[in-house]
Amino acid sequence: MYHKKRLELIIEKPAFKRACRVLEGAGVTGYTALPCMAGYGGGKRWQRGNDLSASRDMVMIVSILDEDILEKIITEIENLIGSHIGVISVGNVNVIRDDRF
Amino acid sequence: MSLDLALSTILSPIVLFFVLGLGAALLRSQMTVPEAFAKGLAIYLMMAIGLKGGVEMSKAALGADIAILALVALALSFLLPFLSYWALRLTSKMDRLNAAATAGHYGSISIVTFVAGTQALQFAGIPTSGHMVAIAALMEVPAIVSALILARRGLKKSGEVAGSEKGELVREVLLNASVVVLVGSLLIGWVSGEAGMEKIAPFFVTPFQGVLCLFLLDMGLSAGRGLREGWRDLNFGALSFGVYMPLISSLIAAAICSLLNISVGNATLLITLAASASYIAVPAAMRLALPKAKPSIYLTLSLGITFPFNLTLGIPLYILMAQWAVG
Repeated sequence: MYHKKRLELIIEKPAFKRACRVLEGAGVTGYTALPCMAGYGGGKRWQRGNDLSASRDMVMIVSILDEDILEKIITEIENLIGSHIGVISVGNVNVIRDDRF
Repeated sequence: MSLDLALSTILSPIVLFFVLGLGAALLRSQMTVPEAFAKGLAIYLMMAIGLKGGVEMSKAALGADIAILALVALALSFLLPFLSYWALRLTSKMDRLNAAATAGHYGSISIVTFVAGTQALQFAGIPTSGHMVAIAALMEVPAIVSALILARRGLKKSGEVAGSEKGELVREVLLNASVVVLVGSLLIGWVSGEAGMEKIAPFFVTPFQGVLCLFLLDMGLSAGRGLREGWRDLNFGALSFGVYMPLISSLIAAAICSLLNISVGNATLLITLAASASYIAVPAAMRLALPKAKPSIYLTLSLGITFPFNLTLGIPLYILMAQWAVG
């Protein structure tokens, strides 16, 4: 088993492509995006699909990556979250195939 | 006669279904229209209105009066945000960024309000021209430029947001779903003409009103939920802006219409467009261009207050204004 980092980024949908560009630009080998259903933050509840512009929808991006790559992108991700609505967390995971990440 | 017209508009199934959705959301009903279905309905309605407009355009030559109307529409869309910004700052003390982002919504248009306006005119037997759909599409974009000018005026230039790409905002503004579908359908209707439309009429013409009812039920739910969740972010000045701004914009548009060679139907639609506020194209653009502005402010105002006001009381009033201005 190999130690890797699991980056979980929950971000507003309009900024989704910006987040993807940051990840791809740093050489991340893969990520998966999932739509978020509903949530609570900033003293308010939110729910997807409440307006046609989808500008208040949120997306979760999950990526397993090497620690070196994480260090490279963390400043940029912080900048993104500083401007857009979102939450970032990083955890430790173990993977079987080292060469994939 | 005028009261009859106002009552028949307010009591039309389209408005009543909207009120049903609005009431259900305000009373915290769990009723929903599936998200993908609602988006499909929106695309259908934009296709139908674009096709209809295009076919009407194919029957008449485009003259100088339409070019003048297009310039007026562009100017209204560009200039109304400056007035909205000033009004918001004055009456609500809203900060610059949020006032600029909100102002952009009030220069741009709501295509659903436009569709409801065309239906109200159709019920009243007042004809409109197909080129008004093109006018509606033209008014989507200039207000976004005005909002950016207003937001960036006097503020220090901040660094680029990570992951930004050159041209992403232009792409979002010019190629958003409503512009692509509306303009594309308009061109398809124009090229294919009456003969082409006949073949697809059973899908795009006959069911139109029923689909609009279904769509407005969903819009009522969205407006009610937006209002319920967002009104606490707004003070009285901001909340009242959602009602007085469409009235100011409509009066300006009516005054301009009185100077133009324009029919009552087209004048009503121009007034309705000026009075409406965007909740599809502009919010998406604002999230990219001004991400620190609060969507709960501008969406609550445009979708939760101005849209219901225009749909229920505004449109009958705009018909009366148009009759007064050009009738």
